[in-house]
Amino acid sequence: MHIAEGFLPPAHAVAWGVASAPFVVHGARSLTREVREHPESTLLLGAAGAFTFVLSALKLPSVTGSCSHPTGTGLGAILFRPPIMAVLGTIVLLFQALLLAHGGLTTLGANVFSMAIVGPWAGYGAYRLLRRFGAPLMAGVFAGAFVADLSTYCVTSVQLALAFPDPSSGFLGALGKFGSIFAVTQIPLAISEGLLTVLVMRLLVQSSKGDLTRLGVFLSGKRNRTESEAAAR
Amino acid sequence: MLGLGLTVLAISLPPWPGAALVLGTALTVLLGPAGVPARRLWRAYRVPLGFCVTGAVTLLFQVGGPDGFVTLADGGPARAGLLLLRTSAASLGVLLFAFTTPMSDLLPRLVRAGVPAPVVDVALMTYRTGFLLLDSVRRVREAQAARLGHTTRAAQWRSTAGLGAIAFVRAFDRAARLQAGLAGRGYEGTLRVLVPEARVSLRFTAASLLLLAAVTAATLALESPLS
Repeated sequence: MHIAEGFLPPAHAVAWGVASAPFVVHGARSLTREVREHPESTLLLGAAGAFTFVLSALKLPSVTGSCSHPTGTGLGAILFRPPIMAVLGTIVLLFQALLLAHGGLTTLGANVFSMAIVGPWAGYGAYRLLRRFGAPLMAGVFAGAFVADLSTYCVTSVQLALAFPDPSSGFLGALGKFGSIFAVTQIPLAISEGLLTVLVMRLLVQSSKGDLTRLGVFLSGKRNRTESEAAAR
Repeated sequence: MLGLGLTVLAISLPPWPGAALVLGTALTVLLGPAGVPARRLWRAYRVPLGFCVTGAVTLLFQVGGPDGFVTLADGGPARAGLLLLRTSAASLGVLLFAFTTPMSDLLPRLVRAGVPAPVVDVALMTYRTGFLLLDSVRRVREAQAARLGHTTRAAQWRSTAGLGAIAFVRAFDRAARLQAGLAGRGYEGTLRVLVPEARVSLRFTAASLLLLAAVTAATLALESPLS
């Protein structure tokens, strides 16, 4: 899912960096404001970043029989909100590039755009939409993780198609080529990530209700009870 | 500066012979002056190399055209070869940076580069907690495997979900305990850490710039004869 180091031409690498910058700056401002108002948040946000980093290192059993790893962007966006995820995602992608040789520094802007911006916003949008229409918590969580994963790959396909248009059919042909390659593997993986995220959230509802309430996943009072009942279903 | 400089050159210069020269230079520096053991380098390099090869394979084919829906692209092998050269050279440049620059030294200095201090603090916490969590998750996974937690597909799903939940619980538990410990020491929101003093070596900087300039000049000089 990460575009490898050196894969994009310099102009594309710079352009995706410029496109990502406003979202990351906005997220950094939100994070700075949050830390100034609540100094203890630094530790929680660091823990959230580490959690996202570890989540992307888990081996995910795929329904096709292969194995991959979750993006973690859907769960991250539901737990920590998309603006914060833009910063945490950037930090995690930087560490993945430098420590795991996964992704790259010149492709950081493109990877941030797909995995730390579009994925979290699309996933969070799907989650909020379903919750607004009264869907159970776990249905919203599944949709959030599924959409976040799939939208990440759609954007990656666009990025690759723009960088490497097909010699005969141009951008659209390349988009079809990269999209179909990703679709074979990614639709089952997105379903897998959605299922895994639901299972993780179920366990979190049982063991860390306090943390989830503090993060705003649960609201206090009557709404909280409704959420718990929905989760239990 | 040398590692990042070589990465930038790898994607900016013509792949042949530019990226090939960058590849050779990075490899020489890594195995020579940087003192990275060849086996360790290969273990780190084979992962991005796999991504580079997988990515380059897609350029061998084209969609549509008179010969069929998916056919071999004209000039595909050459384009794939050049892309492979560029990505593998750039990856080696980043590995040179990663092998020679301790992250814990680098991160606190990002404040001087204009990154807001709270963002750097969060990055530092992520870095330090991440490895503890990875170690913790690895041990839980071993325990799950010892209890036959990965033998069937259903058990594998259950165990993986458990790992995700444990990572969350342990991350937040660790943060809460760290918060309590720091509060007892008068924590006001800034994580001050000791950063070892590092002077900029003029000799090393000059040698790095000279090497980068030499690679650029050699590329420009050899480009026409070798094309």
